[in-house]
Amino acid sequence: MSLIEIKNLNKSFGSNLVLKDINLTVEEKQVVCLIGSSGSGKSTLLRCINLLETPNGGEIIVDGQNIMTADFDINKYRSHVGMIFQSFNLFSHMNAIQNCMVGQTEVLKLSKSEAKAISLKYLEKVGMLEFANQSVKSLSGGQKQRVAIARALCMEPRILLLDEPTSALDPEMVGEVLEVIKQLAKEGLTMLIVTHEMSFANDVADTVVFMDQGVVCEYGSPKEMFSNPKHLRTKEFLARILR
Amino acid sequence: MFFLGSKIPADLLGGSWYIYQRYAPLFWAGARTTLLISLSATIIGLIIGLIVASIRNVKFTPKDSLLSKLFKKFMHLLATIYIEVFRGTPMMVQAVFLYHGLRQYIMWSPIQAGIFIVSINTGAYMAEIIRAGIQSIDDGQYEAARSIGMNNTQAMIKIILPQAIRNAFPAIGNEFVVNIKDTSVLNVISVTELFFQSNSVAGIVFRYRDTFLVTAVIYLFLTFTTTQILRAIERKLDSPKGFGGASQSMPGNFPSLKRKEQKA
Repeated sequence: MSLIEIKNLNKSFGSNLVLKDINLTVEEKQVVCLIGSSGSGKSTLLRCINLLETPNGGEIIVDGQNIMTADFDINKYRSHVGMIFQSFNLFSHMNAIQNCMVGQTEVLKLSKSEAKAISLKYLEKVGMLEFANQSVKSLSGGQKQRVAIARALCMEPRILLLDEPTSALDPEMVGEVLEVIKQLAKEGLTMLIVTHEMSFANDVADTVVFMDQGVVCEYGSPKEMFSNPKHLRTKEFLARILR
Repeated sequence: MFFLGSKIPADLLGGSWYIYQRYAPLFWAGARTTLLISLSATIIGLIIGLIVASIRNVKFTPKDSLLSKLFKKFMHLLATIYIEVFRGTPMMVQAVFLYHGLRQYIMWSPIQAGIFIVSINTGAYMAEIIRAGIQSIDDGQYEAARSIGMNNTQAMIKIILPQAIRNAFPAIGNEFVVNIKDTSVLNVISVTELFFQSNSVAGIVFRYRDTFLVTAVIYLFLTFTTTQILRAIERKLDSPKGFGGASQSMPGNFPSLKRKEQKA
């Protein structure tokens, strides 16, 4: 059974249909990269998966459970689904380790000492251990995003959703964040990544999904997608981006 | 003692100084009451404001049942009525109406009534201040909180409100300063605050001009000191955390640099 099954998903903002009949399955331990021009609905799809946006129709089945039913425990579900934002969204009144701990103590109800040990473990993993007690305001973009990844990992997520994790970064900081994500992919974390970094997608993805105007236009292994795209729109997009 | 007024120097400054020296305990007892009421009412008002602003910030979700939607709408309406009524009527009118109106049910002293009235009046203003503070917080903070599984209340208490209060701190402090001055209207329900006491003194010595110069100076002293203390707190809140206190000689904490030095 697939970990995530999306069936005929629709989402509109007012009269603007952003997602049209999306069908997508993600297997456990798979890394899926979503590519496409801006406004194609990639981020909305990602945000629908952890219900930051409420879909208008269709089904999202995670682990055999329809997450869109009325009695579904959204908060518990979200605690198992990490989300990485383009603009980091670190809690700016806390330092790095407090950012990692607050979810564990508030949501998972761990004790402070347990939470601290887990936070230190993941801060070390993303190479931010020495900045644990530093205010997030004093960190660089790349460092902030790595703390944000540590914060998500502290919740021991089954799925990690990354919404353009490197788009807000200076070019020289993109590498350090991508390295961390590659490491996670190697360890078998299920991830959905919206990205504009094609070489990164090529390296890390099991499946690349090309979205255009709210529909899944084409998907396949990175090798097929980048060397032999079938759809005209995919060809055009890749030609523009890979110039 | 028959013509007490005749002993008082005729000029403004001399007269004021004489009156202050003679009646200092009365003035300071009034100032103490003024501070007691304005400080406690500002704190209680802040709590009321936090609650009311949180109620007004509750959002409708598509999953809400009809009943919870109606309940949320009702709470929104109550909060809005509260804010509009207490911001739209003079505190002096509120004081007279509530003090006498509720006296049938509660036997309260004027000071208790004063704290109650200033609190709910301040609460209405605080609710708007906190609402502005909440709006100043980036939506991403709320989304991040929800995305790690926090419910609405947890996200508010742990993530949004601490930042909103910090952003709104200058306005919150300003309410305190305003309250120090505005408690003077409580003299209409004979709360023995600074204005009431001054009025009594002025009645004894029959020198309104000189007495109220003393009063003005004491009010100015109270508000000026408060403003300075609030500024100091503000500066402290703004300093980035993790950069050590003022007592630390190192400008910043960069362990990575230290480690490199050791290696070299």
